[in-house]
Amino acid sequence: MLTINKIDVAYDQVQVLFELSLSVSRGEILCLLGRNGAGKTTTLKSIMGLLPLRAGRIEFDGEPLNELAAHLVPTKGIAYVPQGRRLFSELSVQQNMEIGLMTSGAGKETKDYALSLFPRLQERLKQRAETLSGGEQQMLAMARAICTKPEVILLDEPTEGLQPSMTSLIRDVIVQMKQQNVAVILVEQHVDAVLSIADRVTFIEHGTNADTVQAAQLQENPSLIQQYLGV
Amino acid sequence: MDFGPYLFAASLEGAITAAVLALTAVGLSLVFGVMRVVNVAHGEFYMLGAVLAWWITSMIAGHPALGFWVAIVVAPLIVGALAMLCDRFILNKINYDPERTIVATIGLLYVIQQSTLMTFGPEARPVEAPFNERIALPWLEPTNAGLQVIWPTGLSTTSYKLFVIAAAVTILLILWLVMTRTRIGLIMRATQLDQEMAQAHGIDVNKVYALVFGLGAALAALGAVLVVPIQQAYYLMGSDPLLLSFIVVIIGGLGSVLGTVVAAVLIGMTDGIVSVFFTPTLAKILATLLVAFVLIFKPNGLFGKRRE
Repeated sequence: MLTINKIDVAYDQVQVLFELSLSVSRGEILCLLGRNGAGKTTTLKSIMGLLPLRAGRIEFDGEPLNELAAHLVPTKGIAYVPQGRRLFSELSVQQNMEIGLMTSGAGKETKDYALSLFPRLQERLKQRAETLSGGEQQMLAMARAICTKPEVILLDEPTEGLQPSMTSLIRDVIVQMKQQNVAVILVEQHVDAVLSIADRVTFIEHGTNADTVQAAQLQENPSLIQQYLGV
Repeated sequence: MDFGPYLFAASLEGAITAAVLALTAVGLSLVFGVMRVVNVAHGEFYMLGAVLAWWITSMIAGHPALGFWVAIVVAPLIVGALAMLCDRFILNKINYDPERTIVATIGLLYVIQQSTLMTFGPEARPVEAPFNERIALPWLEPTNAGLQVIWPTGLSTTSYKLFVIAAAVTILLILWLVMTRTRIGLIMRATQLDQEMAQAHGIDVNKVYALVFGLGAALAALGAVLVVPIQQAYYLMGSDPLLLSFIVVIIGGLGSVLGTVVAAVLIGMTDGIVSVFFTPTLAKILATLLVAFVLIFKPNGLFGKRRE
C-alpha cells in the first residue's frame, strides 16, 4: 500500500537519501534500523512531504504522495509522530488533539478512542502540553496522531527517554494499531524493544536500504544487527 | 490648571496614543510571531488605511458620519486584501526567507509610499469625526471636608477620543477571543508554535501566512482610520507608527501579543504624557532608551520566550 521507490533526498546541497526503496502493508509493522545519520528520520519526513524528493516516487494505494503539497499528505491517512514529540507546547492537551481531529474531520468517538488508549490524558485535558511529563507528552503525541484516523503511522523513536512501564504501554498501543489494520513504520534505536513486535526490519545504511529481513529471522540470527549497527 | 488635572488630561492623550499603537503593534507582532517576517512596510499599511479613509469619506456625500463608518469597514478590508496579495506574490515567492523578506518589505514600503504620493498627492488631508462633542471632565480635589468633585477649567476631552479608546479595547478583545476560542485562532497558534508540525497535521501554512499578513495590515489600517479624525492623513505618516510599533514589539517580546499590548500601553502613555509636558521628540528619545535597556537586560522582551 505505501511504497517508496528509489527516492533521492537532500538538505540543500547535501544529499542524504540515495535510491532508497521500501514498502509497508496494512496491518504490518516495519522497523527501520540504522546508525545515527543513516537517513531514518529523513525517510519519514520525505513520506510526509516535509522534504522534497530529488528523484523517485512515493505512492499510497497507487496515488503519488510526492506530488501533493505537504499539508495534503496527512489528509490521505498518513500520520507522523516525530522524534522529540514536537507537541504544540503552549496549547492544551485537548487543543493538541483537536488539531489532530481537524486533519481527518473525525469526531468525538475518535478522540474518546485515543483517550481510552491513554486514560491519563483524560485528567490532563486542560493542561498545557509543555507542562506534561516526558511520558505523558509521548502519549499525547501518539493520541494526536491517532486523532487523524491514520491508515499509516510513522513513529520516530517513540520510546526515546521513557521509563520501562511507559515503553511497554507505547508498544502495546502500536500492536493495537497493527491489529486494527494500520500500517506502522517504526524508527527505533532499541533493537530489543522492537524485534518482538515488528514484522519486518529494514536496515538503512548511508542513506539507502541495505537489507530487509523478517523480524523473526533476525531474532534467530542477530549477526545482521552487529553488521549494520555495530552492537 | 493644577498639576493633577493636567496630568490626568495628559494621561488621556497618552491613552489614545496607546490604544492606536496597540492595534498597530499587535498587527506587527502577529506577523512576526506566526510568520517570522519582520515587516518593514507595516507603517505604510497604516498610512494607506488613513489615506483610504480620507478618500472614502471624500467620495461619500451626506453626513460625515456615513463616510467614516464606511471607511472604518472598507479601508482595513482593502489594505488587508492588498497585504494578502503582497504575501502571495512577494513573500511567498521568496519562501519567507528572513533576510530577503526584510529587503522585500523595504521595497514594498517605498512602492506603497510613492504610489500613494502619485495617486493622492502630498497634502495632509483631514477627516471629519462622526461625532465630536466636548465633554468636561471632573477632578477629585482634597478639601477640609474630604474629597470634592470639581470641574477644572480646560479639563475636557471629546466623545470621539473616548470612542477611539473604547473601539481599540473592543477590537483587541475580539482579537483575543478569535485567537483563543476559535478554530482559526487555534490553527494560527499551532502554525506559530511549529510550522512544520502544523503542515504535518493538514494545515495549509501558506494560507495561514496570507491570512495573518492580511490581518496584521488590516489592524494597522484600522488603527489609522480611528486616528485620522484626530490627526491628518498624508503619505509620510507611516514612519512614526512603524518605529513605535517596533519599539513596542521588542519591549513586549517578539511574537507575544499580550506583551505587545502591555508595552503599547507603557509606551503610548509615556509618549502622550511626555509629549504634553515636554516635547514629542523627548518622548521618542525615552522610548528608544527603554528599548536599549530591555535589549541589554531582557533580550527576549518582557513577555518573550527564548526561541530554539
